[in-house]
Amino acid sequence: MRPSTGAAAILVTLALAFLACFGDAHLSRERRADEVVAMRVMAAQLGLTDLALFTEARYTRHPSQADLNSAFQDHALALEHFPSGSLIPPRHERLVHKTETPD
Amino acid sequence: MNAWFTKQRRLIDFTLASLLRRKGRNLGLLAVYALLVFVLASAMLYAHALRREAAIILEGAPEVVLQRLVAGRHDLIPPGHLERIGRVRGVQEMRGRLWGYYYDPVVKANYTFLVPPDNGIAKGTLVVGPALARERGMSENTGISFRSYSGELFSFVVADVLPQASELASADLVLINEEDFRAFFAYPAGHYTDIALSVANPAEVRNIAIKLSKQLPDSRPILREEMQRTYASLFDWREGIMLALLSASILAFAILAWEKASGLSADEKREIGILKAIGWETGDVIKMKLWEGGLISLTAFLLGFVGAYLHVFKFGAPLFAPVLKGWAVLYPRFDLVPVIDGLQVATLFFFTVFPYMAAVLVPIWRAAVTDPDAVMRS
Amino acid sequence: MIFQPAIIALLLASAVSVAMLAAAAPFAFQIIRQWDISSGSERQLQLERRTYLFSTLAVFVMATQLLALLLFVFNADKMSEMFVGAMCAVGTLNVNPWGFPALIAQMAVFFLAAGWLAVNHVDTRAPDYPLVRIKYAAMLVLLPAVAAVLWLQLQYFLNLRADVITSCCGSLFSEDTKGLTGDMAALSPVPAMIGFYTSLAIAFATAAFHAQTKRGGYWVAATSIAAFVAAIAGIIAFVSLYLYEHPHHHCPFCILKPEYDWQGYWLYVPLFAATACGIGAGAVQPFRNVESLKNVIPPVSARLAAIAAAGFLIFALIATVFVVRSNLILVE
Repeated sequence: MRPSTGAAAILVTLALAFLACFGDAHLSRERRADEVVAMRVMAAQLGLTDLALFTEARYTRHPSQADLNSAFQDHALALEHFPSGSLIPPRHERLVHKTETPD
Repeated sequence: MNAWFTKQRRLIDFTLASLLRRKGRNLGLLAVYALLVFVLASAMLYAHALRREAAIILEGAPEVVLQRLVAGRHDLIPPGHLERIGRVRGVQEMRGRLWGYYYDPVVKANYTFLVPPDNGIAKGTLVVGPALARERGMSENTGISFRSYSGELFSFVVADVLPQASELASADLVLINEEDFRAFFAYPAGHYTDIALSVANPAEVRNIAIKLSKQLPDSRPILREEMQRTYASLFDWREGIMLALLSASILAFAILAWEKASGLSADEKREIGILKAIGWETGDVIKMKLWEGGLISLTAFLLGFVGAYLHVFKFGAPLFAPVLKGWAVLYPRFDLVPVIDGLQVATLFFFTVFPYMAAVLVPIWRAAVTDPDAVMRS
Repeated sequence: MIFQPAIIALLLASAVSVAMLAAAAPFAFQIIRQWDISSGSERQLQLERRTYLFSTLAVFVMATQLLALLLFVFNADKMSEMFVGAMCAVGTLNVNPWGFPALIAQMAVFFLAAGWLAVNHVDTRAPDYPLVRIKYAAMLVLLPAVAAVLWLQLQYFLNLRADVITSCCGSLFSEDTKGLTGDMAALSPVPAMIGFYTSLAIAFATAAFHAQTKRGGYWVAATSIAAFVAAIAGIIAFVSLYLYEHPHHHCPFCILKPEYDWQGYWLYVPLFAATACGIGAGAVQPFRNVESLKNVIPPVSARLAAIAAAGFLIFALIATVFVVRSNLILVE
């Protein structure tokens, strides 16, 4: 066998595996569609506003509901207690708040 | 066309034969390269899948949540507030929400107590989130008691555990009856935590929010869009941090690639010298070396990506999950629904293959133009 | 906003391209002044050796630009989720005034790069490198163009603000809009179809004719460019309507979205490839009488023209399939 044939075989196999990843992602998305719908329905029913990813503090459990203008959310000089907090970015959105009122 | 094809094929044959002569070194390079792609692709796939899940969960969030602020802090909605808002055109429904946090000293974790909008939980019972149930060993009909903030002990019966599939959104939830909630937290009667508004026309949401914040200067409207953006930027940020950390390894790899290509071994130099002596053109040598780089980088990219897919979606990303998901006592366990973002794959390809090809160009040329006699004499 | 991987990749690609071309610029001047193939001097030998490097670098840069265009559009489309009011790439590109100039500049560099690659290709086929001076002069012209792309992209990406409310494609590509885009959208379907198919047919015919007879090379480039413009106008005027099955949605960017199964890429990739090959076939024509290229250029430009013809044919077929398969009826 010529080396180029072998290399082509390896590359084609890898390329097929690469495509199979997309196929697999598509299939498992379809297979688990019910789950996703169930979760969405539950979240909508309960009116959830956040994911339960970081449960340790108010501003990490519900980042979207946290106070905007208080830099140190627990008390002055409270830098960061929790590792998650330091991994949540500062927020910059000012969507509604183009009004004269402070947040 | 055919002649061109035959020529390239022979070049590839030659390249491979020469690569195989230095098997250990080249396989090592391939492994490191594939590992780099693997790490980067894992971070990208994981962050993207999380972003997707967040978007799906937040699709059903209330269009607007209205908080009351006192001295810049979230405060309870006093009685009469809902009436003061009165009827705002375009608002379909307006209701006070009740929710709060409870710190459980037993597992040293925070729970989120929530009264469902339909108040469908029977008095004296709870419906709990799956992570919490696991942590406290609860299942249907288990009794549980919490000591409230006033010091009193309250006992409940677990009526149900929320489905495991929804854990990402419900890990620490405790659904509770309204009366129980008010009694447990000694919540002042008629007060609410915040107000959820549902708006029929999505185009109107922003105007309604502006109207509300004019009408009630002490309130802060939070749009669903802002919630979604918070999460999108949160995972972007984490992915960014992860990539920033990994950028050191990308640089290290660039140095390695440069080294490998520029520090051509005496062997390789001699090989090139002989090739030129037997009549290869400089252009052919460069082409051969480019084929070498292209084959290595393409193989490494495919290997790394497929590995990353298996790692993230089949084995639960054990290597990166802590950095990307964060850390908590009550941590949700979830299987991500696989999703691949074409743009990210294209970007990753660009990021890994492009620098490698760019880094090896100059060294290859330097080797290719050396005089054969100079090489063979040295 | 700039810390999006795709944005970093794009900026990196442009920056590396500019750096490589800038590094090649002094050498290009040297070539233009001192190149003398008949000389056997040390300096000429040095120059000849270095052309290998800089030609490879230039090929690399041009190839990068071809890929960068694809990534740029793909990225603009993806980013539309992040902006209020944006539904597709149009919204993203409209966030600030630099978006569309950046896209158009990237497209211009794409076609210039295609022309340069064609010239480079024929030049390396001839033993005496007759076009070396022209090639490097052209590279010096391309340097500011690539630098302009980098500058526009930087301006565009640095000035992206998530809180800007942008306009969506509906307002840019609508019959009532003043300006070029609005006029294209307002074309009624029958004349648009006639223009679309006629110009594509002419481009196909000239390219096929050139591929067979090796005559009329300039016409291939001219008709390719005309067909490109007509094709874009046709996509806006009627192909998009059939794709969306909506009588007033004219956007040429929404068809790139996954909701429409990326059908846009099926249209644009053959169209851009065909136009690039057509331009390439035209770009080599001025040199067909150079002694050492007399046997090189005709087959190369014929092959380019053949690819162009095939590309236009594929494009027209795909567009026709989209129109026929659609449930929308515009023309009785």
